[in-house]
Amino acid sequence: MSTRERLAAGVLGLTLALAPAVVCQSLIPVSAQATRPVLRISAIPDQNPEKLNRLYGQVAQLLSKQLGVPVRYVPVIDYTAAVSAFRTGNLDLVWFGGLTGVQARLQKPGAQVIAQRDIDASFHTVFIANKASGLQPIASQKGLSELKGKRFTFGSESSTSGRLMPQFFLQQAGVKPSDFAGGAPGFSGSHDATIALVQSGAYQAGAVNEQVWKANLRSGKANRNKVLAIWRTPGYPDYHWIGQPNLDERFGKGFTAKLRGAIISWRPSNPEQKAILQLFGAQQFTAAKASDYAPIERVGRQIGKIR
Amino acid sequence: MSAPALLELRRVVVAGRDHPRLAGIDLTLRPGERVALLGPSGAGKSTLLAVANGLLSPDQGTVLWQGETPARRGGRRRRQQRCIGTLWQDLRLIEELTVQQNLNTGRLASWGWPRAVLNLLVPLETQACSQVLTRLDLDPGLLNQPVSALSGGQRQRVALGRLLRQDPQLLLADEPLASLDPRLAAELLALLLDAGATPRALLLSLHRPDLLKGFDRAIGLRAGAVVFDLPAEQLQQDRLDALYASAP
Amino acid sequence: MKPAPPLLLLLPALVLLPVVVLLPAASHGGGWELIASFATAALQPSLEPAVLESQLRGLAITCGVALVSWAASLLIGLALGAASSQVVVLHLLGRSWPADLLARLLALPRSIHELIWGLLLLQLIGLEPAVAVAAITIPYAALVARVVRDQLDALPRQSLEALSSAGAGAPAALWTALGPPVLPGLLSYGGYRLECALRSATLLGVFGLGGLGNDLLLSLQSLQFRELWSGLWLLLAVMLPLEALIARLRAHWSMPARLKLVPGAPAEPVGRQGRQMLAALGGVLMLALACALWLGINPVQLLHWQPLPPLAPGGWQQALQLNWPALIANTLLLTLLAAGLAVGSGPLLLLVAAPWRWGRALLQLIWMLARLWPPPLSALLLLFVLKPGVLPAALALGFHNLGILGRLLNEAIGSASPSAEQALSASGTGPRLALLYGRFSGVARSYLAYGAYRSDVMLRETVVVGLVGSTGLGSQLRESLAAFAWQQIALLLVAYALLTLVGEDLSDRFRRQLLGGTSP
Repeated sequence: MSTRERLAAGVLGLTLALAPAVVCQSLIPVSAQATRPVLRISAIPDQNPEKLNRLYGQVAQLLSKQLGVPVRYVPVIDYTAAVSAFRTGNLDLVWFGGLTGVQARLQKPGAQVIAQRDIDASFHTVFIANKASGLQPIASQKGLSELKGKRFTFGSESSTSGRLMPQFFLQQAGVKPSDFAGGAPGFSGSHDATIALVQSGAYQAGAVNEQVWKANLRSGKANRNKVLAIWRTPGYPDYHWIGQPNLDERFGKGFTAKLRGAIISWRPSNPEQKAILQLFGAQQFTAAKASDYAPIERVGRQIGKIR
Repeated sequence: MSAPALLELRRVVVAGRDHPRLAGIDLTLRPGERVALLGPSGAGKSTLLAVANGLLSPDQGTVLWQGETPARRGGRRRRQQRCIGTLWQDLRLIEELTVQQNLNTGRLASWGWPRAVLNLLVPLETQACSQVLTRLDLDPGLLNQPVSALSGGQRQRVALGRLLRQDPQLLLADEPLASLDPRLAAELLALLLDAGATPRALLLSLHRPDLLKGFDRAIGLRAGAVVFDLPAEQLQQDRLDALYASAP
Repeated sequence: MKPAPPLLLLLPALVLLPVVVLLPAASHGGGWELIASFATAALQPSLEPAVLESQLRGLAITCGVALVSWAASLLIGLALGAASSQVVVLHLLGRSWPADLLARLLALPRSIHELIWGLLLLQLIGLEPAVAVAAITIPYAALVARVVRDQLDALPRQSLEALSSAGAGAPAALWTALGPPVLPGLLSYGGYRLECALRSATLLGVFGLGGLGNDLLLSLQSLQFRELWSGLWLLLAVMLPLEALIARLRAHWSMPARLKLVPGAPAEPVGRQGRQMLAALGGVLMLALACALWLGINPVQLLHWQPLPPLAPGGWQQALQLNWPALIANTLLLTLLAAGLAVGSGPLLLLVAAPWRWGRALLQLIWMLARLWPPPLSALLLLFVLKPGVLPAALALGFHNLGILGRLLNEAIGSASPSAEQALSASGTGPRLALLYGRFSGVARSYLAYGAYRSDVMLRETVVVGLVGSTGLGSQLRESLAAFAWQQIALLLVAYALLTLVGEDLSDRFRRQLLGGTSP
């Protein structure tokens, strides 16, 4: 063996020898984490990522102050991922939609409904249309059949207000997903995207969460000259906070109750809390229970999103 | 000497790394002339041929093809190049194609896309190709063979056949006889001289001066410059000795 | 009437005819405004510090995941390849059936796309950094193992026999006789796998496994095109130097070209260069370890399995009731369309652009972007103007693979001898015909053979464009995942594995016919 050969072999050998050491090294932060638990919060990504980052950054800060534990916001890429990550225990407290919340509780027995917004007991979806499509506001649910043959987009596949409930109301009006142009509806991914896509004309109509729709009208992102609301659905229960079953074990006895109390205590009179409530589009949060979402579970099973 | 020159080089210079590869060459080639280019290796024969067929543009001086300056690109350039055929030392046949397809590549310049594509699909112009093979003493049965299956001598002839299919005014050949045994070399030379007869012209570089029979003119090239330019029969042994003598 | 090689090369492009015919009917005309603003945003990417910071972080994660999974797959693949090589096992154990058994078993991890591995591991293990790495490592290691096995078993065995009859111990004899001849080919292949790993890591990000892909998808979905482009340009700024570096190293060490992955003709034995290569490899592995540390990748995480959610009663019944013939037919149609587009467009575009220098440069740029750009994102972009279905999915998949095949074709053409093309031009043939006859003839067989291998990859990749709807198994898998219908997911995975195993076999046969050799 020449010197160089030895050198090369040495580098290679060293690398291989170091591998186990590195593996052991990387164990340490994990065990350290176990001693001081972090409350990992997340949310279904139903709006623009910047907005989510802003909102949940503030929520994490506020909760950390109120509860005295470190809180971290973990973004997830889609609704399904939020449900899966909740089931696998990677997320402690998640802002779910109606459908995803039911899915999460079915997959994680013992998960607890913590709270909902004042507007969530009776939430609404708005059907919107591009002006150029010629669609006009409709008087009753029957009028949804006008949408047959149009290019139509839902929000995310697992969205309650952007997919489940609008599909349910469409079905009642005799419109199947295969009745849309192209034989299938689109899935824009989020409510903001639905509005932008319908406004641009890529889709002629779509279904969005009423609260996001109103916020877009207020901010001027939705241009009334290009896009209009054509129908508002009846109310149904939607968004809610859900927590892991083992929060009390990990954070101390009574933590779940403390958490619920903290969220429900937010009021517009406090400037910091007001900013958060505004981003949530609500006046305050209220306590909620699992049975409130029984209607969503029923519809979910009917549409085939819950098995 | 009234016919327009097929090829005319005026003060052509091609730069090289140490010394010029061509140092001011003047050369005129008229229809019917069969010219042998002699000189030791490194004298600039290949460079001169590359300038003549347009592969290389000279750094200085002028090249005229049938009295015209070469166009830079486009249809005019292609029309000019069509009149110049080259027999390459490495033949440059397309190994993956059949003999017939290779022969027909001589016509590609005059064919449009449809025929060029059709040639890759079905045998085209079989009669003309057979005639060429017969003229070159090859069995027309070879037409469907892939070129890669041929022997060295057969390949030489197919390459020449492609040139015949092209039917150029000016035939250029760079040491076509270099790697051939004497009998084959003599046969091929005869075919070349025949192909380069009036109204065409032939410019051929030779490594061996003993094959000069049948040429009209001999040009001696050394260090990128013309040393002599004589009727072939007037070429004396002492000039050849001087041409191939090692540098002083 | 049998088409000659250069024409054979253009044959797959015939698929463009039905595509062009179908395109007007499939386009819905809306959204051109969005496409235009997407295109113009390319020139004015967002330079906001917050955006760039988040994207740089994402890019670092993507590169880290790529590097770590690549290094892991190389080491594991090397070991598995040796363990599944007939010659090695025969020599060590005295019989070769364990090697064959292992080789057969390795076909399974290989047949499943890294994205599916990622989504499965996500369900089993959770949102851990190790998941993305494992998702790439598993199929890649199996692929590397196959190449190692093929290379080892194709070597002449005389030197090995000479060494063992001279009394050398079995491991020493194996290492000395087989190591040096296969090393250059393997390292060349390894370099290519690193490029693939970077693409895979980006793609996994699109599906939520972290990294720049995350940012890209979210920017696209929220129509933030300027942010999207800053991410794309950043990715390009990494991918280009990486490709150039690997190409340069390959040239420096005179490694076999990638298009000629036919074993049996190993390059000259490794000497000083071999030591350089080993030193470089060692350095890269160190870097990979550092990345693993930084990303907090902990292999132990992979052992903490979560319980699967309960299976719904009657799920198997429902799963069997899926429209399987249509799903499979759509998947195959998608593969064929995409493969035709990817394999056929490259030569065709090169021919069209042949006379213009800037045209060729533009092609290079477009292919670069195509390689870089994860196919699900092009599919989403296409939905702005096309109706959902097989066509946008095929276009997206075909475009991405065109980028990969186009570069290979370009490399092959660049390294082929220019003499025939020169000869044709010198006799007045136009640049396009000269290219067709003079260069395409020589590269046709090996390009098509690689195209066959790539089509097999595309069959596996159909799953990633599942988000444009009604595109066969891929979109059904997405639907089933969203509904957490585990029985459906299981059956879909089996269908995918079977399909890709059959596809692999077919493409192998086709390639052997073209090249008279094996190996991907």
